[in-house]
Amino acid sequence: MATQISPCCSSSTTFSSSSLNQEPPFASAKLFNFSTKSSTSRWAFKIHSRTDPKNHFNLKSTNGYPLNAVSLQDAEKPLAKELVLPEQTESNLSVTVVGASGDLAKKKIFPALFALFYEDCLPPNFIVFGYARTKMTDEELREMISRTLTCRIDKRENCGDKMEEFLQRCFYHSGQYDSEEHFAELDEKLKQKEEGKVSNRLFYLSIPPNIFVDVVRCASCKASSGNGWTRVIVEKPFGRDSESSGELTRSLKQYLAEEQIFRIDHYLGKELVENLSVLRFSNLVFEPLWSRNYIRNVQFIFSEDFGTEGRGGYFDNYGIIRDIMQNHLLQILALFAMETPVSLDAEDVRNEKVKVLRSMRKLRLEDVVIGQYKGQSKGGKTYLGYTEDPTVPNDSLTPTFAAAALFIDNARWDGVPFLMKAGKALNTRRAEIRVQFRHVPGNLYKRNFGMDMDKATNELVLRVQPDEAIYLKINNKVPGLGMRLDRSDLNLLYKTRYSKEISDAYERLLLDAIEGERRLFIRSDELDAAWSIFTPLLKELETKKITPELYPYGSRGPVGAHYLAAEYNVRWGDLAEDE
Amino acid sequence: MATFSPSSSSSSSLLHQRTSIPPKQCYYSRKFSLQQSTKRVSAIHLHDGASTKKVSPVKADGPATILKDGILSMPSVTLPEEAIDEENSTVSITVVGASGDLAKKKIFPALFALYYEGYLPKHFTIFGYARSKMSDAELRTMVSKTLTCRIDQRENCGEKMDRFLERCFYHPGQYDSQQNFLELDKKLKEHEDGRVANRLFYLSIPPNIFIDAVKCASTSASAANGWTRVIVEKPFGRDSESSAALTRSLKQYLDEDQIFRIDHYLGKELVENLSVLRFSNLIFEPLWSRQYIRNVQFIFAEDFGTEGRGGYFDNYGIIRDIMQNHLLQILALFAMETPVSLDAEDIRNEKVKVLRSMRPLRVEDVVTGQYKSHTRGGVKYPAYTDDKTVPNDSLTPTFAAAALFIDNARWDGVPFLMKAGKALHDRRAEIRVQFRHVPGNLYNKNIGTDLDEATNELVIRVQPDEAIYLKINNKVPGLGMRLDRSNLNLLYAARYAKEIPDAYERLLLDAIEGERRLFIRSDELDAAWSLFTPVLKELEEKKVLPEYYPYGSRGPVGSHYLAARYKVRWGDVGSEQ
Repeated sequence: MATQISPCCSSSTTFSSSSLNQEPPFASAKLFNFSTKSSTSRWAFKIHSRTDPKNHFNLKSTNGYPLNAVSLQDAEKPLAKELVLPEQTESNLSVTVVGASGDLAKKKIFPALFALFYEDCLPPNFIVFGYARTKMTDEELREMISRTLTCRIDKRENCGDKMEEFLQRCFYHSGQYDSEEHFAELDEKLKQKEEGKVSNRLFYLSIPPNIFVDVVRCASCKASSGNGWTRVIVEKPFGRDSESSGELTRSLKQYLAEEQIFRIDHYLGKELVENLSVLRFSNLVFEPLWSRNYIRNVQFIFSEDFGTEGRGGYFDNYGIIRDIMQNHLLQILALFAMETPVSLDAEDVRNEKVKVLRSMRKLRLEDVVIGQYKGQSKGGKTYLGYTEDPTVPNDSLTPTFAAAALFIDNARWDGVPFLMKAGKALNTRRAEIRVQFRHVPGNLYKRNFGMDMDKATNELVLRVQPDEAIYLKINNKVPGLGMRLDRSDLNLLYKTRYSKEISDAYERLLLDAIEGERRLFIRSDELDAAWSIFTPLLKELETKKITPELYPYGSRGPVGAHYLAAEYNVRWGDLAEDE
Repeated sequence: MATFSPSSSSSSSLLHQRTSIPPKQCYYSRKFSLQQSTKRVSAIHLHDGASTKKVSPVKADGPATILKDGILSMPSVTLPEEAIDEENSTVSITVVGASGDLAKKKIFPALFALYYEGYLPKHFTIFGYARSKMSDAELRTMVSKTLTCRIDQRENCGEKMDRFLERCFYHPGQYDSQQNFLELDKKLKEHEDGRVANRLFYLSIPPNIFIDAVKCASTSASAANGWTRVIVEKPFGRDSESSAALTRSLKQYLDEDQIFRIDHYLGKELVENLSVLRFSNLIFEPLWSRQYIRNVQFIFAEDFGTEGRGGYFDNYGIIRDIMQNHLLQILALFAMETPVSLDAEDIRNEKVKVLRSMRPLRVEDVVTGQYKSHTRGGVKYPAYTDDKTVPNDSLTPTFAAAALFIDNARWDGVPFLMKAGKALHDRRAEIRVQFRHVPGNLYNKNIGTDLDEATNELVIRVQPDEAIYLKINNKVPGLGMRLDRSNLNLLYAARYAKEIPDAYERLLLDAIEGERRLFIRSDELDAAWSLFTPVLKELEEKKVLPEYYPYGSRGPVGSHYLAARYKVRWGDVGSEQ
């Protein structure tokens, strides 16, 4: 675990020596990947406390749902003891982007890989392979990639050189997604490049869900690493309900062990989501307040200021609840609400998250408000409604907005509403967590002032985007001879404190996958638990054909969201007048 | 509670509430605050046996008198009456010692600021009283030199200034002459023009003539039918005995509720805000105890020495000058239990409880220092004893650090550190609350910094640049996991464009309005002295040598050893503040 904490960017020189790890050969377990992250001597003490590696093997192969088993896994570290540094140079990392010609690959994955390379976070021997159906040469791929690469603003001197170096390591292989033969060819090429070094292979599946399993089958059977690890990164959607998700997981498990599957939720890679745990667990001042005693409600808010814009085909099949709530917002909720884990190790953290999810009530229809945006003309410009999108059926009932109230029935959170809100085509673009505290009991200042102190409660806001910030709304006195209270912010705006560009979530997650750090990836049992909260509701919405409340493009969303909040005596913090 | 009546233009919402009265807020609010204080009359007597319940005959029928009888505390006060009072009463403020420095620099400008902002009642007169011979015009010239206008609304400033000056008068006289005060009384009466007379005397004079002036003012120039109040400045004695003697003497002529002992630190914006922060936010109060707070620091630093004016200071020293009053008062406000209400007596009751729960300071918990000369960049800064007004062999501390303890359930074992000094490297006054380490910190071993030292810290900076900030640990953005200590902050200058009023303005206004919350009650003063008197005596009897520190330095290192004894680090000299 400790290792994921090894940063490799130049800014943290103290650790750089520890960084990239030697993934050790591990012949006996072809399918098992070992994230044997190297440990610097600094972490050495942790190693001794680990469980017996053999033990862990058995557990791993079951990779089942039993939690007790899970908590014992992840015993890779002990191996690190036997590692010696020279081996490091003997391994080779290959990252194969399956679906290389797709949008995500171009916009996010290749740039993230380049950024990691630029920051010296990739091991010395690595290659990047693009795989897709399109016929393309290596040169053409490089040409395509180079258009989206950019350099960090804070050190762009030798960017051109670096880019050149990076592109030299990019290759392309064209093939069908369900052809074992083509994957065998890929394996051939990979072997060539690996030149007999220990081969560690990462497949990034940037493809539609219906061909997930085919690719996994081919990759696993024909292109698995012979002597290193093989890992597969999978993007959402992970099914569309409990059954399809369970089915997908089962299919994946035919070819992969749990430890090889890296389900990515890029929200978990966001800087401030990472910081959430740091805030809670490394400050004394927050943890005492982190319970129903002091917190009145928590809000998870996601909004986009654009609609599907002609690309609603995929979205229409899923809707905002599946697209944003069930994964991104619920994951953040679980991180927010979990008990203190035993350690920061992936399994410890994920165990706690699963506990939260399993303590949650299934979402009921009456606790959800859905909406869909309609056309709107503003300033002479016409914004299309959702159903006017040519890729969306005219009678679509798919929600583009949803608000929900969720409850965690455990000792810490009993009765505290956790509100979620997600929508497209709203008036702002933002993602944030708002923690509203209770009113001050017996407030001395209550009757004196123009404002209702019971409403002017403290609020902690973690703004994930845009303009990452943390602020705490407090009441203070307006300077002057009178006694008027004012709500102002104790704040930390990242932009003003940290001039460094905040790295993209994909960089962090790719690096974690390369390093075998699973903390930010979703385990199968987590996914199951997450679906089981939402599935009954989603089914009901669909079978009853519930009509979404229409809201104008660019508005604040359906007013129904306010009534939902009011039912639990809550006000949305993002729509308050002092926002 | 209407004491908290703002009248600045920005508070229009509040004004709306007071429907039927014209916007002469001060009077309205004043009445109200008086009303509160009456309810507390009994409380005063409980705490302060010396003051008696007698209603002095001079205040026969003014509003204050009604108060004293406790009648006003009933809800029968109606608004029209207020309006009449406004028209029929007058306040005269007599600055005794008008030619002095404090009067020129602080009192007259503060009065003008109050006038400028519309806080003074309709009928008011200001009298300067001192021994120098001067005409009204001369006083006005002198006063006008120090008046300035608020930056945020300076349009008609000149005009306002003239109108203010027209209400300023001067009367020369001896401080111990009944005759001269009688003459003053006559002049005041003329200006009062038969209205209800309320009189406020501001004693800006050396302590040795306090009593004389109080005697003369009280017997010869008390208001006949309104209230008479006296504002007294420090020093309030130099130890328990002399302070008690002074109080006894004052009480011969004044009731407890006529005495307004001013501590201008309590009038500072952020000190006022301290209670607001604690009691109007949910998130601080749960942390406000020994369970979460490791120590609290009260820091006062000046970056200049006595600069040729050490005569007064040498007789008192930094402990009496700063610690026993300013810092201790802030400590009491900080540490008090939640009062029943924000009324003056409720708050002062809680403060006294804190002071009485404190251990008297021991000599081993004090470090004293004195600055010595220092040459830097070709400039030679003098030592304290180089000051011509200071004896060459003076042992008077110009720096002191102390560790105090409150032996009650909330604070048992938490060190409250104080530090005050002159001729240090910067000028500041602040409160620092250092929290305990995070128990079982998950991030402890992973990160370069020792998180047990990187604890949370709440800083309330009183001056310069008023600010509140909370140091928290967060993650440095980037792929690694490095933690960083950064601030959640609120810088007043950035949020509030309005100039922050001087402490004297607030305190003068409070005295006029009869709001006693920020003034020191006699029993508070007693309790404060009893904490410091033994150590002051011991320091003097044993002639304890102060540790010398260079002018402009960070002060004697002894203060670090004192802090270390209680496992504390001074927050203001850390590598990052």
